[in-house]
Amino acid sequence: MKKIFLGIIMSLIAVTAFCAAKLNVSTWGFNLDLLDKNISKPFLEKYGVEIVREVGNNSVRLTKLISQKSNPVIDVVHFVDYYAMLAVKEGLLQPIDVSKLKNYTEIYDFAKDPIGGNYGIGYTVYSMGIVYRTDKIKGPITSWKDFWNKEVAGHISLPDITTTQGPALMMLFNEIYGGNAYDPELKAAFEKLNQLKKNVVTFYKTSSELINLFKMGEVWMAPVQRFSWGQFLDTGLPLAWVTPKEGMPGFLNVISIVKGAKNLEEAYKYIDFMISQEVQYAEAMDLVDSPVNVNVTVPQDIAEKLTYGVDHIKSLIFYKTDFIVENYDKWINKWNELIAQ
Amino acid sequence: MKKYVIILPTLLFLLVFFLLPIFLIMVESVYQPQKGWVINKYVQFFTQRVSRVAYTRSLTISLLVTVVSLAIGYPSALAIVNIANDSLKSLLMTLVVFPLMTNSVARTFSWLAVLGREGLINNLLISLKLIDSPKRLLYTPGAVFFGLLQLFLPLMVISLVSALENLPKEVPLAAKSLGANALNLFTKIYIPLTVEGIVAGSTLVFTGCITAYVTPAVLGGSRVLMLSTLLYQKTSVTLDWSMATVIAVVMFVTTLAVNYLSRKISSLGVSKQ
Repeated sequence: MKKIFLGIIMSLIAVTAFCAAKLNVSTWGFNLDLLDKNISKPFLEKYGVEIVREVGNNSVRLTKLISQKSNPVIDVVHFVDYYAMLAVKEGLLQPIDVSKLKNYTEIYDFAKDPIGGNYGIGYTVYSMGIVYRTDKIKGPITSWKDFWNKEVAGHISLPDITTTQGPALMMLFNEIYGGNAYDPELKAAFEKLNQLKKNVVTFYKTSSELINLFKMGEVWMAPVQRFSWGQFLDTGLPLAWVTPKEGMPGFLNVISIVKGAKNLEEAYKYIDFMISQEVQYAEAMDLVDSPVNVNVTVPQDIAEKLTYGVDHIKSLIFYKTDFIVENYDKWINKWNELIAQ
Repeated sequence: MKKYVIILPTLLFLLVFFLLPIFLIMVESVYQPQKGWVINKYVQFFTQRVSRVAYTRSLTISLLVTVVSLAIGYPSALAIVNIANDSLKSLLMTLVVFPLMTNSVARTFSWLAVLGREGLINNLLISLKLIDSPKRLLYTPGAVFFGLLQLFLPLMVISLVSALENLPKEVPLAAKSLGANALNLFTKIYIPLTVEGIVAGSTLVFTGCITAYVTPAVLGGSRVLMLSTLLYQKTSVTLDWSMATVIAVVMFVTTLAVNYLSRKISSLGVSKQ
């Protein structure tokens, strides 16, 4: 009996030893099937390394990194730029040696070192506009101010302050109603939000949650990030995308290497792979991520659904990430005071 | 001595994986390495409007669910116990337990289909011409209440059924033959003799409600902040772990207090008889 048991243990050890090398990636749980198709499978074929994903929104994943700081499980992490800065502040990331990245020269300059100190490489850029149900709302919807229209009251959703786009939206509201995005108190934005809060169905925390709210008919209009537009179209609902006249905030997602990562070599391969022309092209064609690799060209109909082209990217509003990082805790507290009546 | 040896494994397990961590959390909430003994986080908890609102809301909803599930659960349990046909009885018990076998996430999401703007209730009310446009039922305290009630009612029924099963059939009969009316029968016989079941069921339901996370998060959302969703926010969003520790202790102490009170009340009720 004991021998059999020992045999089983030994063979288990043997099997795990022969398994593919692994790379632990922390990222968003959006478009996972497409990430498998465009990234995991080709990466495994090319390098023999299996990608293991841990998914969640920015804040949840940052917390996990902090709690595992002394013995990190994650090798590579995807964040929106200001969350990557928060992670740097917490001492969770290590600088990236860009000389090890073959494809580094192929990406736009703004993506090369967006948070400073080479702590992150930008790999996709996206905007935030308004999506609304054309059958329910006569409109016309042209402005961020339209969220305060009587017609849409009770049928709107806004991002929670803890989402990727939450702080940017509040800064934008402050710019529209207070004349300045860079107010540490965001006084005008919070005052306007106070008028609006009773008309908001719920403050969504993830893109998937928002899509469900649209599907259930709970929500007819919301600020939406460009990378999820393809999924919104897949719902088959009569939806339209609006680029508001005040402009659209832009976001840059970055990949970083965790300090003390156990699979460093694989981590570099992964980052290089993520910014390569073929992966960036595949992700763009599936409307997952808009490319930052200058050698990616996509047909017109795809380009229209992405955040694509030098001029288009130039027109986006990129708020200073260090300003968000500096005031973030204060905003979350104010938000809580206001929303959780 | 021998008879105590058999509880050692459980005792050890609970000591290492439950009592010790709870003790550490308790200490951590009032002791900070740099500052020594502090209670400022507790002061903050009870003075900040956000946490106060979340706490009273959690308490109110949990107590309501407990009382309502007791009110609905007792007659059902009584009915089930009094069924003579064994196979029918076990079928009913299976039906009671059935919701406990489905995943709470799946169950909570099915509430979305019921309470949604284009959901069952709104469509029914509209087709009956009772309302002319769909009402918002989701993301309200009411939605959380019904979600939790459905989640924990089975626990109440099971506790009460097992308590009533232990009550000798002759006792109510004897009481009746001595001229007890229905009310007397209920207050003097049933309740005192099933008090253990009532306390156990209430404790299970109340504890479940105050610690439930998925239901308040999905059905209440960011508008209906409760203690558990606030705790989650403190740990995973604002990284304010010292406040999270305080919330965890407040939850734990509240549960103990409610359990103690329900025992007190029931023992008072029994001793009066």
